[in-house]
Amino acid sequence: MIEFAVFFFFAAIAVIFALVVILHRNTVVGALSLVASFFALAVMYVLLDAPFLAALQVIVYAGAIMVLFLFVIMLLNLQHVSEPATRPIQQFLGYAGSAFFGIALVYYLVKYTVLQLPPGPFLSDARAIGVALFEAYIFPFEMVSILLLAAIVGALLLSARRGVIPSRKDGEEPPARATRGSLATLGMTEEGPLP
Amino acid sequence: MTFDRVDVVLEIVKIALIVGLLLNVVPIMVWVERRGSALIQDRLGPNRVGPFGLIQSMADALKFILKEDVIPLQAHKWLYTIAPMFGLIPAMTTIAVVPWGRPFFIPTEIVYGPRVSGVCIIGAAILAILAIVLGGATAKYHRKPNYSKLNFTIGAIVAVSLFLGALALIGIMLGIKTAGAVHLPGGGRLFEPIIADVNVGILLIFALASLGVYGIVTAGWASSNKFSLFGGIRASAQMISYELSLALAAVSALMVAGSLRLTDIVTRQTGYFVLADTVKIPAWNCFSPAMWLSMIVFVVSAFAETNRLPFDFAEAEAELVAGYHTEYSSMKFAMFFMSEYIAMTTMSALVVTLFFGGWDVPWYNEPATVTGFLLSAIAFLAKVSFLLFVFVWVRWTIPRLKYDILMKIGWKVFLPLAVANIVLVAWFIAARWI
Repeated sequence: MIEFAVFFFFAAIAVIFALVVILHRNTVVGALSLVASFFALAVMYVLLDAPFLAALQVIVYAGAIMVLFLFVIMLLNLQHVSEPATRPIQQFLGYAGSAFFGIALVYYLVKYTVLQLPPGPFLSDARAIGVALFEAYIFPFEMVSILLLAAIVGALLLSARRGVIPSRKDGEEPPARATRGSLATLGMTEEGPLP
Repeated sequence: MTFDRVDVVLEIVKIALIVGLLLNVVPIMVWVERRGSALIQDRLGPNRVGPFGLIQSMADALKFILKEDVIPLQAHKWLYTIAPMFGLIPAMTTIAVVPWGRPFFIPTEIVYGPRVSGVCIIGAAILAILAIVLGGATAKYHRKPNYSKLNFTIGAIVAVSLFLGALALIGIMLGIKTAGAVHLPGGGRLFEPIIADVNVGILLIFALASLGVYGIVTAGWASSNKFSLFGGIRASAQMISYELSLALAAVSALMVAGSLRLTDIVTRQTGYFVLADTVKIPAWNCFSPAMWLSMIVFVVSAFAETNRLPFDFAEAEAELVAGYHTEYSSMKFAMFFMSEYIAMTTMSALVVTLFFGGWDVPWYNEPATVTGFLLSAIAFLAKVSFLLFVFVWVRWTIPRLKYDILMKIGWKVFLPLAVANIVLVAWFIAARWI
């Protein structure tokens, strides 16, 4: 009974804050709402007898990733630039696509009984997860870590200043820096926000 | 898991006790901080209100409540209001998974005897002496030319409540004496002095501690002040960096105990290391050579994580006015103040639990009775108090670093050291040296 009440309370919080994320115009409010939504999601894990996953959810998503998001948002101090819709077909395709995806999701959830819990206790303590990762799923685990390493190296290469990575020959013109392009895509020039 | 009404009542009592203690740590620590800084700088510090200026913090608290609460016109009102709470709540919740005493069996009944009367009379005497000293000081204070009505009222209220406490203890003693024996509800049951004994305790602490940064960041952004924004951005960069080395340094203690549960970590440290078959040393983690590196990394990262000098870049009054709380006033500012001291207390409790044996009394085998519990709780409190004093001591001794040095130390020194230490501890465990 108490579990039921807790579930619906936090499910409501998760959904409401997720709506705030996509509907609110202020990016900082959006990011903070996403934190609240993640936290409510962690409560779902606790209700599923998986406190380890709940703690990881809060540490990784709410604690680390969203702090970085917020950091970047504040550092760039983005202004909201509203543009008139130039291609209404894009808007229509977006709405139609998400509606199709939502309907398909609900259909399959109802058709195949995914909503039922697996029988028996759900083994989710740190030991069980560690054993599973390093015995049954060792290959995918290592593949994911290599992928992440490649992403880190790529980020380093893109953001490195001239002279940090001495790979070019002498006298060769360095390629244009990525920052200018990324600033332009964010609706900013180097002087400040666009009028 | 089944629980009955007695469990619920016990849990509420534990929560009330811990929250009450935590809230009272704040005024006491403010007093310690001010008197301690005065001691270190060869000044007097606050010594006017009450004996040794002890009631100064209460006067400050009342002042905070009575001040005008200003919200700047430019500020984002919602986030500006919510930010201090965002900081305070994680700081207060974290303590729930830290064990603060030896688990003991609640006695089934209290029988009147010399021990009961002894405890009651000594307690009542201590309270009465405190009340008389305070009352006398307040009365003396009343005759001074520049006395304020506010301080006089606080002194009088505290003195009277202490006196009433002494009377209540005598009353309890007389009550037990006439009844002969008082049956306790839930007697014979194991009382665990921890609010929530979660099997992922340490992860929960890191999860909540990592949420604490949002208070500072949100405050910095919502104030619409450049200094505040700088403070918030610095705080977020700093706390992400030091969280890593903090968590990695804690791993060594977890590896030795083989568990993420903080009660297991403390139980692991209750035995002895025997040196050369003669010298017995308590088996605290801080006495095993494999742990020294991680202990240093953990304590320094704890300073950075709680934004204390030499790492208080979010405030940095020489550069950023007052950093993220520049615009805050009244009770909202007080909440930032409280969350800083409460986070300090939690961090001290965590250091004690991981490296200084938690509630373990050195060279003493605590029995599972009320006496053993009280002794262990006092030992825990003493260790935490000492570490809190170390926080104050360091703050007034070591000057602030430069910001780039802070980041460099975090990523290039502490992180590799913490990783290296995990390898070292694994080697020690594999060789069965600990």
